Amino acid sequence: MTATQERPSAEIGQSRRRKEDQRLITGRTRWTDNIQLPGMLHIAMVRSPFAHATITNIDTSEALAATNVVTVLTGADLAAEQGTLPTAWNITTDQKAAAHLPVAVERVAFAGEIVAIVVARSAAEARDAAELVDVDYEELPAVLDLKKAATDEVLAHPDLGTNKSAFWQFDSAGAGTGTSVDDAIAEARANGILIEREYRQQRLIPAFMEPRSFVCDPTGEQLTLWSSTQIPHITRFFLAVVLGIPENKIRVIAPDVGGGFGGKLQFVAEEIIAVLVARRTGKPCKFTETRSESLMTAHHGRDQWQTLTLAATKDGTVTGLKVDLLCDLGAYAGTVGGGVPILGAFMFNAIYKFPAYQFNCTNLFTNKTLTDAYRGAGRPEATFAIERLMDELAVEVGVDPLEIREKNWITHEEFPFTSVCGLVYDSGNYEAATAKAKEMFGYDELRAEQRRRRESGDPVQLGIGISTFTEMCGLAPSRVLGSLNYGAGGWEHAAIRMLPTGKVEVITGISPHGQGHETALSQIVADRLGVAFEDVEVLHGDTQISHKGMDTYGSRSLVVGGEAVVRAADKVIERAKPIAAHLLEASVDDIEFSGGRFGVRGTDKGLAIGEIALASFAAHNLPDGVEPGLDADATFDPDSFSFPHGTHLCAVEIDTETGGVTMRKYVCVDDIGNIVNPMIVAGQVHGGLVQGIAQALFEEAVHDDAGTLVSGSFVDYLVPTAADTISFDIEHTTSPSTNTMLGTKGVGEAGTIASTPAVVNAVVDAIRHFGVNDVRMPCTPERIWRAIHSRDGGDGTPGAAMPHFSEEEPGRDSVEGADQ
Amino acid sequence: MIPAQFDYLAPTSVEEALAALAEHGDEAKILAGGQSLLPVLRMRLNAPEFVIDLGRIDALRGVRDDGDAIVIGAMTQHSVVGSDPLVAEHAALISKAVEHLADAQIRHRGTFGGALAHADPAGDLGAPALALGAEFVIAGTGGTRTVPADDFFVDLFETAIGEDEILTEVRIPKHTGWGAHYEKFVRVAHQWPIVAVAATVRVDGGTIAEARIGLTNMGSTPLRARAVEEALAGQPATEDAVRSAAAKAADGANPPSDLNGDADYRRHLATVLTRRAVLAAAGG
Amino acid sequence: MDLTHRFTVPTSVEETWAHFQDIASVAECFPGATVTAVEGDTFQGSCKVKLGPIALVYTGSGTFLEKDEQEHRFVVEAKGKDKRGNGTAGATVTLTMADAAAGGGATDVQVVTDLAITGKPAQFGRGVMQDVSDKLLGQFVSCLETRLAGGAPEPSGESGPTSAPGEQSDAAAPAVDAPPVSVGPAPAAQREAPAAPHTERDDSLDLGATVLPILARTYWKQGVAVLGVLALVIWWLASRD
Repeated sequence: MTATQERPSAEIGQSRRRKEDQRLITGRTRWTDNIQLPGMLHIAMVRSPFAHATITNIDTSEALAATNVVTVLTGADLAAEQGTLPTAWNITTDQKAAAHLPVAVERVAFAGEIVAIVVARSAAEARDAAELVDVDYEELPAVLDLKKAATDEVLAHPDLGTNKSAFWQFDSAGAGTGTSVDDAIAEARANGILIEREYRQQRLIPAFMEPRSFVCDPTGEQLTLWSSTQIPHITRFFLAVVLGIPENKIRVIAPDVGGGFGGKLQFVAEEIIAVLVARRTGKPCKFTETRSESLMTAHHGRDQWQTLTLAATKDGTVTGLKVDLLCDLGAYAGTVGGGVPILGAFMFNAIYKFPAYQFNCTNLFTNKTLTDAYRGAGRPEATFAIERLMDELAVEVGVDPLEIREKNWITHEEFPFTSVCGLVYDSGNYEAATAKAKEMFGYDELRAEQRRRRESGDPVQLGIGISTFTEMCGLAPSRVLGSLNYGAGGWEHAAIRMLPTGKVEVITGISPHGQGHETALSQIVADRLGVAFEDVEVLHGDTQISHKGMDTYGSRSLVVGGEAVVRAADKVIERAKPIAAHLLEASVDDIEFSGGRFGVRGTDKGLAIGEIALASFAAHNLPDGVEPGLDADATFDPDSFSFPHGTHLCAVEIDTETGGVTMRKYVCVDDIGNIVNPMIVAGQVHGGLVQGIAQALFEEAVHDDAGTLVSGSFVDYLVPTAADTISFDIEHTTSPSTNTMLGTKGVGEAGTIASTPAVVNAVVDAIRHFGVNDVRMPCTPERIWRAIHSRDGGDGTPGAAMPHFSEEEPGRDSVEGADQ
Repeated sequence: MIPAQFDYLAPTSVEEALAALAEHGDEAKILAGGQSLLPVLRMRLNAPEFVIDLGRIDALRGVRDDGDAIVIGAMTQHSVVGSDPLVAEHAALISKAVEHLADAQIRHRGTFGGALAHADPAGDLGAPALALGAEFVIAGTGGTRTVPADDFFVDLFETAIGEDEILTEVRIPKHTGWGAHYEKFVRVAHQWPIVAVAATVRVDGGTIAEARIGLTNMGSTPLRARAVEEALAGQPATEDAVRSAAAKAADGANPPSDLNGDADYRRHLATVLTRRAVLAAAGG
Repeated sequence: MDLTHRFTVPTSVEETWAHFQDIASVAECFPGATVTAVEGDTFQGSCKVKLGPIALVYTGSGTFLEKDEQEHRFVVEAKGKDKRGNGTAGATVTLTMADAAAGGGATDVQVVTDLAITGKPAQFGRGVMQDVSDKLLGQFVSCLETRLAGGAPEPSGESGPTSAPGEQSDAAAPAVDAPPVSVGPAPAAQREAPAAPHTERDDSLDLGATVLPILARTYWKQGVAVLGVLALVIWWLASRD
């Protein structure tokens, strides 16, 4: 017997087409809403049109009498059993929060909150009857503006007595990781440069492609919930905790899920409702939200005011950074909720050697849809702030913005580098990524063209934007999460089943929703076990199959989940070795594993791993004391985050007559460590870039003064399409992570984190000579046009570019939305 | 997104459609492609008892030459209009506008007459139709009548079509040899224009002999920029001359304000886009 | 959303004030409105709003929050719910009368309307509802103006109110090149339409009314024209239809 499987080359590094695409793209797969069960009932929600109101009466009689309506339930009906929606991350032990009921009982705190549930035999009948539920409200004053929320004049939850949920601080002097930021600011105020800015992170909507859908079947021994979620394992845990259902009686399945971007990383009211209704009726129940419901009530992201002070010496060496955030939680603290800005707490210092740093974060409630993690979650906000500030510092010093970065960044010789936050950056090479990006971009030529256009007064001006970002991803070391008061760990689990025929099943605790995990993990396992790519099946998203896991978010799947798979694979090999040695009549010490074959050192004898699997299955001839089977599992808990980085360069043309923006060129060189599948990486980078560009130019969730989301359809919430983007130039440098065997760093969020400031820097750079130093996001043509013409009486870009830390300063008013 | 229940009627002749309309009147909505109606029904912002689909009336489809005019059947899809050689030759402005109308999927479902009857002031066809002096042929139980474009657009989503009438075709006087351009300003490709300008000009030896200009989304109806048209007549087709005339583009307009820009910004845009549209049209 | 309209009527303040003895006379001015019951300072009714493809029926009630004869000021609050559960509309209308600055025994009237529309109509794209609200309010104010100026027994008619010199309604700003009024058949049939006596448009604002043909169901067309939304004054319908 000899090893027979010949594999052409290593799988890792190959641009494999995604094995999941055929079923996803053709629609052959079954999404949650496609699931049809015998006798299934359908749920429609009745939602509050008011941002803040007392429910004075609910008349369900007409709805109950409607055709094929099974039941109509209100919050009062469910009060005893519905529990409250949990928060996994109380950022402080005294964090305040109002109880978030799946169905409101007495009071609603945002427009879109569920007040009644209609259950009928068809979705159409449920929808029809929902119109017949007559709810009376008594409106309460609503707090909709973040800065006004901070004054506590109007309360989102009167019983709390304040809108403030929590205040959280990191201070480098206090933590012993750096010096005093106030000293640095005082010194800079006297003898150096201070850059003081206020930036707005507008509210965004994840806008995943598949609206959320939940099906609950209570008829089996285990109650089964199909959920379009990123987090089936966490959902199972929460169902047990919140509803008191024994965890062993719950099965959660995330079938193929159509996108998430963080928007499906929550345990939500609709999920609980599907379960409660199924339990009450004893029948399978389905709820699928409409796009309108999704935009209005699935959580939103970002929504911060950032007050920033950067201190530097006159030559542009940074000496301190102070960050004050006001963060809008919306009406309730979400699953991650208040922790989102904390994920950015250690990233404002970015790749720069700040000796002093202070981060202050105030989380506030408003009567709006709650906010939670959205692609990047905390880190895009941080990256935006620091990269915008570095451009402003360059202007102040009078040097090229790349030069100011180079002056302050960590050089590649300095890795591993302990940041002012105490985090250890394992590897990186900012110089190399930047040099490569500059060359690809034609940086010097574009700068020359920019000069020419300025000098000739060209109505079309050119701007160049830079973002030399880093992020922390691979969530996360459990101990670090614990120290941040997060409610769970950050490990990941994997198992490998060697089937008798030599095929392989990989079970992972990550939960893909479009990323291509099945392909990437198959490539990893193919290489590790020396089997064919096609012979590997990746199973996930069903708690009966993948019994434990921490799911997918925070660019963790490959970095943490992939590493767990590697470790499980290595255990399989270790389990196989004694069997191979026994069958080959050799000492275990002489067994070498390579290319899928167990050989005996110094001989040409060997057995393929599939042969060992079969032998192990038959178990006719195993060494004494060796259990049949090669299956193994592993749980990996990282010691550290990973720190991908990159240099993004963006050139935009601004039509000064209209304010219109045309992207001219976008180059990014990302160092994400080792790359498993370049095509998947390119997809993640492209999609990430577009999402970040969309924040810079297009998207904003806008509420009117009654608290209604007026950008509540894709008519007004402008998600760009391929027609609105250009072809990006993507390259990589590679500094493998030293924390894992795979050496990967995570790429799911990189594009989104990096691109937003690159674009806004480019926009501001194009029109800076008009006296502009900020344009609020999204940089609409109107805002840009007004910024250009603000010096002749226009109102410029209100809310930006003024000194702060002084409440009397003008321009602190925040007036959101259409009138800006 | 499930609409309320309705009865679906699919007449195969205009007479049948009119009879259905007469019978069901206010309880009926006409489906003429459905690219605006269906979203509204799915959002349940309307719940008619009857939907009368004109899609099976073959007589309402197609483009024909009718002497001094071309005639476009109301149920002709945008994609057909956009690729029709007669339209391109005699009403180039329509071709140019259709090119940028919504997206390819909508252009294959939506219809020329449906869009005009919908009378969304941000729709891309109203301004070109107005500029070209289109005539709207409207059928009722008592016969047909023809309404000039100037009288057709009444207000926001409101036209001269009566409740029991149907727009059957649109006659567009031939503007053979006229230059045309539709300058549309959007933030993302698939959105309604923030402002758009439809310009068609007859250039004679470097001079603008005649110009006809329509404005999209500058008021509750499509508008003619008559002040610009008058100022352009007899002017050389030069940047300076056109710039000066285009400055009047927003005279008297009362554009809307929304998330994409306020009324003042739209007024400004109208002048810039008018200049560009006229110059492009004059340049062939 | 606060919208302010001002106009001047030739009658004295006292006379003008006298026109509003009952709340229904205010409510009736709102386009598409039907008052079904009046009890003291409170009314109930419904308001049918049609806007192109949209058709909504709000039912609700209104009441005088304040009626200050000394100051010649009243405040009406109206609230309604969409029949299909699509949202709500509410308005607080504050009407103040004062001797005209220009003198001559005339009265300056200011109408401040705080309008709030919630739910799906407010989410209809591009802020169109705002334009519609402006338009409806313009019609509402014009109707008030007509009643105050002429004391017309009917709140509106196809001849419509005339614009007084002091008219400053934003909603009434003429569009550029408004098409000339083409005189079609007189819409006499509208008179006979009992269901919507208050929904006819103000010709001075909306030239479309006169081009409408005679149609058996013209009154519905008028409802369409008026469209709109929201409510200004919205009426509780005792029995929902």
